[in-house]
Amino acid sequence: MSDTKKMNLTLRVWRQKGSQQSGSFKEYLAKDVSPDDSFLEMLDQVNEQLISKGEDPIAFDHDCREGICGSCGFMINGNAHGPQKSTTVCQLHMRQFSDGDVLNLEPWRAAAFPVIKDLMVDRSAFDRIIKSGGYISVNTGNAPDGNALPIPKVNADEAFSSAACIGCGACVASCKNASAALFTSAKVTHLLSVPQGQVERERRVLSMVETMDAEGFGACSSTGSCSASCPKDISLVNIAKMNKEYLKAAFNKKPETNLEEGV
Amino acid sequence: MSNKLDSKIPSGSIDSKWKDHKFKMKLVNPANKRKHSVIIIGTGLAGASAAASMGELGYKVKAFCVHESPRRAHSVAAQGGINAAKNYQNDGDSIYRLFYDTVKGGDFRAREANVYRLAEVSTNIIDQCVAQGVPFARDYGGLLANRSFGGAQVSRTFYARGQTGQQLLIGAYQAMMRQVDLGNVDLKTRREMLDVVVVNGQARGVIVRNLLTGEIEKHEADAVIIASGGYSNVFYLSTNAMACAVTAAWKGHKRGAFFANPCYTQIHPTCLPIHGSNQSKLTLMSESLRNDGRVWVSKTKNDRRHPNEIPDAERDYYLERVYPSFGNLAPRDVASRQAKFRCDEGHSVTPHGEAVFLDFRDAIQRLGEAKIAERYGNLFQMYEKISGENPYKVPMKIYPAPHYTMGGLWVDYNLMSTVPGLFVAGEANFSDHGANRLGASALMQGLADGYFVLPYTIGDYIASNKLEKVTTDHDAFKEAKDATEKEIHKIMNIKGDRTVDSIHKELGRIMWDNCGMSRTEESLKKALQQIPKLKEEFWNNVRVPGAANEINPELEKAGRVADFIELGELMCRDALERDESCGGHFREEHQADGEAVRNDEKFCHVAAWEWNGTSKAQTRHQEELKFENVKLATRSYK
Amino acid sequence: MLNFFKSSVGKKYLMGLSGLVWAGFVAGHMAGNMTIFISKEAYNAYGHAIVSNKLLLYGTEGALIWALITHVVCAISLSFSNKKSKGAVHGGSPNGSKGANLGSTWMAIQGSVVLAFVILHLATFKYGTHYETTVDGVVMRDLAKLMIEVFQQPGYIAWYVVSLILLGIHLSHGVRSIFQSFGLLHPAYQPIIRKAAIGYSVVVAGGFLSQPIFVFLMN
Repeated sequence: MSDTKKMNLTLRVWRQKGSQQSGSFKEYLAKDVSPDDSFLEMLDQVNEQLISKGEDPIAFDHDCREGICGSCGFMINGNAHGPQKSTTVCQLHMRQFSDGDVLNLEPWRAAAFPVIKDLMVDRSAFDRIIKSGGYISVNTGNAPDGNALPIPKVNADEAFSSAACIGCGACVASCKNASAALFTSAKVTHLLSVPQGQVERERRVLSMVETMDAEGFGACSSTGSCSASCPKDISLVNIAKMNKEYLKAAFNKKPETNLEEGV
Repeated sequence: MSNKLDSKIPSGSIDSKWKDHKFKMKLVNPANKRKHSVIIIGTGLAGASAAASMGELGYKVKAFCVHESPRRAHSVAAQGGINAAKNYQNDGDSIYRLFYDTVKGGDFRAREANVYRLAEVSTNIIDQCVAQGVPFARDYGGLLANRSFGGAQVSRTFYARGQTGQQLLIGAYQAMMRQVDLGNVDLKTRREMLDVVVVNGQARGVIVRNLLTGEIEKHEADAVIIASGGYSNVFYLSTNAMACAVTAAWKGHKRGAFFANPCYTQIHPTCLPIHGSNQSKLTLMSESLRNDGRVWVSKTKNDRRHPNEIPDAERDYYLERVYPSFGNLAPRDVASRQAKFRCDEGHSVTPHGEAVFLDFRDAIQRLGEAKIAERYGNLFQMYEKISGENPYKVPMKIYPAPHYTMGGLWVDYNLMSTVPGLFVAGEANFSDHGANRLGASALMQGLADGYFVLPYTIGDYIASNKLEKVTTDHDAFKEAKDATEKEIHKIMNIKGDRTVDSIHKELGRIMWDNCGMSRTEESLKKALQQIPKLKEEFWNNVRVPGAANEINPELEKAGRVADFIELGELMCRDALERDESCGGHFREEHQADGEAVRNDEKFCHVAAWEWNGTSKAQTRHQEELKFENVKLATRSYK
Repeated sequence: MLNFFKSSVGKKYLMGLSGLVWAGFVAGHMAGNMTIFISKEAYNAYGHAIVSNKLLLYGTEGALIWALITHVVCAISLSFSNKKSKGAVHGGSPNGSKGANLGSTWMAIQGSVVLAFVILHLATFKYGTHYETTVDGVVMRDLAKLMIEVFQQPGYIAWYVVSLILLGIHLSHGVRSIFQSFGLLHPAYQPIIRKAAIGYSVVVAGGFLSQPIFVFLMN
């Protein structure tokens, strides 16, 4: 909201027509960028110019533009969501950059996140991980009173801190192994921190880890890049908890006699 | 005037209507449920909760969303909380009080029976969400915590830090994903609904565009639920997400669903002010900030001093001054309007544009920075990221922004539109908030519709109607698909000079200036002249690059803007016809000391508009509103 | 159970467990070798005591061989699958406040160097020239002589220094990761664990380094 000077930037943007085609960097000039604009608003301007020139605008996922839906995200000079900590790229503002900067914009890189177009990737693997067990099985109408089961404040807060994950995929993109351990463990830990989640805990962790591996994500090397780039500051402790939970479940789980859940 | 609108409100006393109605409704045999299919458009709170619940019951559900994942729906952005009449705080809350507050907050323009049902099921929602593992805030005893919200004098708002919507949505999303895993819900992402297919007068399917391939798909079902959210993006700059659109609802409208009260829009008081012409959206900060923040402007016009240098005596805490009993927690429409009045009088706190201060100085002195950080840390962080200013040290600058739309497709008590088999849930319908929605009630309504109302009423519809087998080979599907493809072809071939965004921005400007926080006969008539010209401009001069059979965000936007233009026109007509002020609809001609003056004799009704084809204007119908339990009174928060 | 060891999490447990065996061994090895500071005789007697206890010797060797094979096989398998999971990156890696620490990103390279070091080390000492000496009337291998001989070569010492520093870095990340992989990381202990892991690595690597340098300088 200040009257600061406008700046010019060079963008090297990954352009790729589709998942089957190969891609490469293309250079664009972003002129007269206001420091008060968000990064995506800066890209909007570039796109408006491309459209006017009859060129194909840069495709990128985005929606809420307030850092909560998890749609947006790409690498800016190697960093997921750009250089600012605890931020999504839609909340990243141009005052973080200086006139003359050269920025590489690259999509999330992971075999489990195939590029759809330009900076857009397919993150449906995350949905499949949740689908495989990231829930508490409670049909509508079955619930006891909300206060029937007190939950210590620390546990509720802990559950929230893990549940705050927005599923943007920055953790996978930052990880040199493209591991989804932070994402998966955040959900495992969230549901583990509340008493309602205890009943299915073994099934849940076994199934979610299995799906995570099957989707082609890498293993965790504890480099910490995931947590460092997480817009919601999800802690590495989640991964430790998932690992412990997984060990316990693998050795404790009773065989199921009837897999039918009943409809 | 017509009798086309049968609200189907059950008879009996207000507190027994829903109970009796549930008992009287017909049931579908458990074994037969799997033979019936339901299409759900949108997977936000209303859509996802409906998909989960209907899937659990055994219906074959097909759920569609424009996003890559249901977890991205804009319900995710709701911050402050969700109301429920639990009375855990022992402060005098009850179902009746929530009902009363909501009717009053809506400025007596909502249907009593619907609101009462909403208040009734509100308690079940909290229970359901807790059972799903939603991490609501708790106090040290381990019990659920509450905060207060605008328009209420009890603490009934449940919250999960500043991310309540996200947590509730993820709860509903997870419940739905469980049904996807069990094979009861077929989830189709990156699909945009572009038409409703009506066969023999009943909604029997939809036409959707696959946003990745451009393919136009046909899907059939026994009933269709539209839960596609609101239309605040008609203003271009709003707090809604970029993909929020009226399109699904509008296509339903064009197939016969009446559109009710389009002029009822909510302007949220605590948003970040506009910073420049490239701005793509406005950011809202939870109304809960008004629990501890005090709103003020300088008593001196055009005061350019640093806010911290303006002494208390020279500050006008105008909400506390004008509304001593509600103070900073006055309802949204009232608080927004007061901000506008101050800025119109020249007290704006920024040299360019409009803003007022939201100050936490006193709260920080009273409670300490740590406590404030615990309550609002993420909001403060967000504010600092966007504005570059530290709100712990300098008062926030805020200004109202379009945020929620109370209007929407008309539905009866069963949430069915005027097209049999076409149900509408959540923000997309018009039903529960009247002319103004109270804070923390949107989440409540979305989940009430999806978890606790639709599963019953759709069962009743399916059980009481003979639904012949229809496949997508039916002529109606072919006709709808052809029409959709034709329209896309038309848009692609305009090949004009203007980008979609530039036209959308122009529409937004017209709407904000003339049909925004306040309206006059003159401004509305002006808008009604400008909009048709803009429509003309769009259909002759828009430029959509690329092709229709590929990913094409510009094409998606163009389709949405085309619908917004038509909606904008209807909004202005509706606002013009409603010659009174009520809630979010403030006609300058009808005010007393800056407060809205209703005209209950002439306008105690819902206005529902019937589509008559592209070449003819819509017809206005009325549903009279009867207030048998809450006395019609002037809304006062003083 | 088999599924457990096939999973990415299970493999990390194996890495951690096998790493832990070696981490324990190198600490003991380093401490024992400190006898060289006392005297050549003490050093040789210590070595003799170890090889004379066959149960201890073969037990340790067995555990070490299992651990080495497990560690290396898991590492190779994980490296390949991780590489496949990631694919090609063109625009740079995380850096600045979002960067990973170097110790963690180059584990495979450090590990390879350390492996080469272990093999060479075994060839030099365990399977190297067999001198004999008599201490207190007992005939035993004169490892001290071999050690003094080897550590007269500056090139050899340089290689040792490099390898042992890498070993230290490898250990510091490895030991910390064990807590992570085994799920023993607790928010309250996180900083302590990090410091302890670094402390441990400095002691082990420093201790090992002191020996060849001491021998070189003393002779």
